[in-house]
Parts: sequence; structure tokens; C-alpha cells
Amino acid sequence: MTEILAYVHKDGFFHRLHPFTKIAFIIVFGLMSILSTNLLFLLVLVAAVLVIAYGASLNNEVFQQFRLIAVMSVVLIGITLITMPSGSTIGYLVPEGIPLIGGSLPVTLGAIDFGLVMTLRFMVLICAFQLFVISTQPRDIVHTMERMKIPTDYTLMFLIALRFIPTLQIEGMRIHEAQLARGYNPGTGLIGKVRSVAPVVVPLVSNALSRADVLGLTIDIRGYRTGKRTHLREFAFHMRDYSILFLMAIVSCVYASLYVNQIL
Amino acid sequence: MRMIELRNVSYTYPHTVQDALHDLTFFLPNGSCIMVTGPSGAGKTTLCLAAAGILHHEYGGKKEGSVILDGKNVAGYSGLCELAEKIGIVFDDPEAQMIFTTVEEEILSALEHRGLEASVIEERLSAIMNTTYLSELRNRSPHKLSGGQKQRVALAATLALGNDILILDEPTSELDEHATGRIVAILRNLKALGKTILLVEHKYRHFHELVDILAVMENGRISAIGKPDTVLSDERIRKIVTADFSGIRDVSTGDPRDNTSIATSPETVISVKNLSYSYGDIAALDSVSLDFSSGEFVAIVGENGSGKTTLVKHFNRLLFPASGDVLVKGKNTRESTVTDLARHVGLVFQNPDHMFFADTVQEEVGFGLKNIGITDGIEIIGKALADVNLLHTKDMYPRWLSRGERQRLAIACVIAMRPEIIVLDEPTTGLDGNESRLVMEILKSLQRKGHTIVVITHNREIADNCADRIISMKNGRILSDQRIRGVI
Repeated sequence: MTEILAYVHKDGFFHRLHPFTKIAFIIVFGLMSILSTNLLFLLVLVAAVLVIAYGASLNNEVFQQFRLIAVMSVVLIGITLITMPSGSTIGYLVPEGIPLIGGSLPVTLGAIDFGLVMTLRFMVLICAFQLFVISTQPRDIVHTMERMKIPTDYTLMFLIALRFIPTLQIEGMRIHEAQLARGYNPGTGLIGKVRSVAPVVVPLVSNALSRADVLGLTIDIRGYRTGKRTHLREFAFHMRDYSILFLMAIVSCVYASLYVNQIL
Repeated sequence: MRMIELRNVSYTYPHTVQDALHDLTFFLPNGSCIMVTGPSGAGKTTLCLAAAGILHHEYGGKKEGSVILDGKNVAGYSGLCELAEKIGIVFDDPEAQMIFTTVEEEILSALEHRGLEASVIEERLSAIMNTTYLSELRNRSPHKLSGGQKQRVALAATLALGNDILILDEPTSELDEHATGRIVAILRNLKALGKTILLVEHKYRHFHELVDILAVMENGRISAIGKPDTVLSDERIRKIVTADFSGIRDVSTGDPRDNTSIATSPETVISVKNLSYSYGDIAALDSVSLDFSSGEFVAIVGENGSGKTTLVKHFNRLLFPASGDVLVKGKNTRESTVTDLARHVGLVFQNPDHMFFADTVQEEVGFGLKNIGITDGIEIIGKALADVNLLHTKDMYPRWLSRGERQRLAIACVIAMRPEIIVLDEPTTGLDGNESRLVMEILKSLQRKGHTIVVITHNREIADNCADRIISMKNGRILSDQRIRGVI
């Protein structure tokens, strides 16, 4: 089983970058994807993120998200088709031949376009964030956020949120096994899934809550709030960081000018 | 010099009436070790929080008396930040203390916030790694480690703080005999260095050489405290401190239903043939072949990570054989479903909290019955609860029970489904002597009613005193398979 969003110990080029460089990368890519409505440009962004993932030897981890993204895109496009019809109609979800309700729920190009834009945006955001998180040790993330003068409470909140993802995943699996051993049948289909939630989710949430208490105390006892920190094995800015930051700056400027001139 | 001193400490948690700690008074001189033991729910963990000053600074509720750490009342400390320079505490849940993504990072997190020089940190890091035997796990993710390994990481991170007072809440509950021995050795060294240790443990036998003061807690009170020999001279107290499993194998309840199964000739209920299984690159089982007969009481022993749990998970198809076969009552598990197998094989996991979700104890037991199609099971539920001495709790919320009671409830949940084979993974973790004996007696009486019992345990005494057959595992293989008493 692979853990979701857990740090992957590798020695790729993305791992060697300064966390700040990676944060800059997320911000630039995130902003561009949010501001842009151009399908082609968003595709370029997705391609760029995937190329980076490949270069960082983290492509397998990133590709694992694609099932989730596929499901999400179907849902997103479905919702936009129903709620935001615009532009020319290319067909109907309910065929015209059916009496009374035939011809309702038109499939419009505008809605498909918007649905695709949303999907690609999420792809860029999810993949870029994942690249950052799985290539940076949480300790370094915390320290970089501290350096960026983000208040300790917020950095610790971020740390705990990140840290709970794999825990909940593993814990959920154990609980699932324990219930299976009691003859629990999760059932199939949507109704089966909904009905089978309580035996897994109730112990999962109760255990997580009691655990959060100990986790908080542990962080305090390890002295995270003392403010006395030795800067050990700190990432230094290397040539690669400067080059990438420079590249990000250029990309941002070019994008900004294209955006202002309404080309993108 | 008194390092830890409690003066008439009483404490009641918010929204509760019963006090969790009642008028506790004792002190610990510099360089001494106190071991606190007692039944689950007696207030041992609350005592740890009180002695660490955490109760005073982080918890609400009604507090009385005073706790003095290194000559200074905890009220005088500014908060956990200042206390963090005085005490190190290991909590009983190792998982909750794993914050980071590598073992090294976990230990560094304790070192980096102490205002130390970088070179000192590196030095201390490698020293701690060596003393706790964690060097080879340096880059592993703590979440993927076994319970016992996690406990070692939690201890290492606490030791890294380098503080003079150590408060350890069941630091070895999930460790095997060998690993516990290592922890004893580590603590022996720390004690020699003048550290003061407050240890909550159930393994007096392992720690006896370290213990200067032995305290037994019951219902929030200290019922006995003093030099170990004096405390243990009381027969009742001794049974709490050290589990006495003697005679369990031969105890007869006088129930006429007993021994019915022994009269019938045993048949093979589970047959494991050349079973292999691996987690990624790590081989967990290596061509294991075994047969289990009906009515047997089998103990599977072995160190952490020897493949014990992996083996039993194959019995009800929670794991699927990579190669080889498992036959339950003659039927290959490859052709059965987990739900079908749950009727034949009941598996009680180490942590009972992984299963409880219902509002009452009774409903909790009823869940398994409903799953196998028994909707009108009031009588069966009552019987299962009576078997584990929990009938009086039937309307209570399962999570409010003590650890020992929750463990027994987990057993009730499984036995209510009447599986012929009952498998238990470390059923005495976190239980005191009396509770452990009670669990083993329950299992023994189930055996007499015809069930096959398979117990995974680190505790050699349980194996020696209760089992008819002891299977010893190492690195995914069967090391020995020894029958204690002739089963036909």
C-alpha cells in the first residue's frame, strides 16, 4: 500500500531544491492555473508539471492521483453541464425522442469548456502540491514556513494536517480489517458504501481525536514553541535554486503581460 | 534531592464525578526509579500527566495538592515550554507520537529546539541511534514500522531531549522479550547517569533490577508503595504486579459441558501448506506448513516482525496467499469470502479500539451476529458477555470501559459469533496480572467448550502455562513446534 501524500525518500533533483524554491513553484503555477481560462495553456501547465514529476523520478506517485482526478473531472463536467449551460448546443443528455422530458439538459460547448478548465486547474494544483509535499521532509517545510514568518500555530497546524493523512489511511485499513473479521460486509454500490460507513468511520474519528491530544503534547514537549532552534542541515540556496527562481520570475512576467493584454 | 514530589494530589477530569487521582503523596529522589503498576483504568496515565505538570497546565478539571519538579512547584513553570526542558515523557500510544516522515527526523525534532550547537546535535543523534538500535531504520517512515519499533522511536526522541526526569507510560507494551531487555538495559544506563525515572509498566519481572520503589494503583489511589520486597509480600498485591498463570492449563470449572470436545477425536481445522507472503520486498512468511487440530490451545511466540500476525491474517483471508494454500475446515480460503470465514475463524486484534463503534456494549456484540444473519441474538449476546464477566456493562458505551474490559469485550464480540477457531493477537497487552489471568482463564474455558484457541504472544509465561502446543516463529519461518501436553 502506498501512503497518500507521504514523503518519499529519493535523491531526485526536485528533492535537492530548497523548499522555498518549491513553494515559489507552487505559487506561480497555482496562480497561473487559477487565472487562466485558456484550455491550451492549461494543458501546457499540466504537461510541464508532469515533465517535472518525471525528471524528479516521482512520476509513479503523481500518476497514482489520476484515478481520483478522472473521477473528479467526470463529476465537475457533469455539474457544469447541468448548472451552467452556455454557448452552442451539441446535443442533449435526455434524447429528444423521449416524450415530455425529451430535449432537456442540453450539452453545451461553453459548459464542457468550463468543466475542462476546472479539471485542468485541479490537475495542476493537485500535482504541483503533491510534488512539493512528497519531495520535502515535513521538518523542512515547517522551518521554511517559519522563515517566511508564518506564525508557529499555523505551521504546526499544517504539519499535523499533513501528518494525519497517512495515519488515517493506515488506521482506516486496520479498522476495516478488524470489522471484516467480524463478518462485516461493506456492500457494493453507493447505498452499500453509505450503509457501511459507521463501523469504520466511528472508530477512525474517535481514535484520531484521542490521538490528537497526545500529538499536541508531544509537539510541545519536543520544544516546538520554545523559539530556540538550531539551524541544522539547513538547505542552502544553490545555483539550481537561483536558476529556477529566475525562470519562475520570467514566466510570471511573461504570463502577467499576456494576461494584462488578454491574450491568455 | 527530590526530583519528583507529589503532595496530596487529587484530580477529577472535567465533566466527571469520580476522581481519577485521589490524595497521592510520594517523592522520588534524584537517580531513582519508581515503577507504578495496577489494573487498567486505575489512573496510571493520569498520574504520568500529573507528575509531568501537563495536567496542571493543559487540562481543566478539579485539581488539588501540589506537584514539585526539581524543587519547583509545577505551577511556577511558565508552561510546557519550560517543562520541556525538565522532563521527557513517552506516552502509551506510540502511533500518536510519530509526527514526521523518517525516524531520523523524528529524533532530530527533539534535538533542534534546545538551543544546542549543530555539532552537539549530530553527536547526540548518532549516540541515541546507537543506544536504541535504530541506525538501520534511520530513513524508514515511522508510520510503516511495527508497534514495537514505534515505541523505540518514541523513546529515542524522548531520550534525545536529554532531560533529568523521564516519565514513561508503558514504553514496552508492544515489545517482545528481547526488545524489552534492550529497553531495560538503556534505562539501567540512564539511571546510572543519575536520571530519575517514573515508569508505568506491567512487566515487573523484566524491570525488577531497576526498581527502587514499587507502587500499585487501584481506583485512583495508591494501594501499596514502598520497597519492592515489602510491597510484594502482600499476596493480593503480588497478583496484580506479576501475572500468575500457574495451573491454568489444568483448572476445571466443574461445568458438565466441559471436556465434551476432548472426548471426540480431534480433526484438522486449519491446514497451512507451503504458505509464503511478502510485503513489497520484505518476505513475511517463507513456506510455512502447519496443521491445527480442533480443541487445541496453541501459542504462537516469536519476536516482533517474525510473521505471527501475517500468518493468522491468512486464516480468515484478510491476506491472500502469495503462494501456497490455507484450508479452513477442509475448504481452501481462495474459494471462500472473508464473511464466510468469519463464521469459522474469529480474530481478535491487538488493539480493541479498532472495532468499537456502537452506542452500547450489547449493540457492539450484536453487530457481528447481524453480519452472519442472526438478528434475534439477545440471548447469545447475554451469554457471550457473561462468559467474559461483562454482563453488568451491557448498556454502557464501549469506549468508556477500561482497557482490560475493552479487551474482554473484543473477545465477547468474536465468541458470540461461535467460530470454531478463535485467534487472538497479544490479548494481554496493557493488562495487569489479574486481568491477564482472567483473559487466559476465559480462553481456557472456551477451549473446554470445544473451541480451538490460537494465541499470539510475546509472553513466554502465557505460552508455558496455558498452551498445549507452542509454535515458535522467526523471520517468517517455523523455528519449533512443540507439544506440551499430548493432544490425541
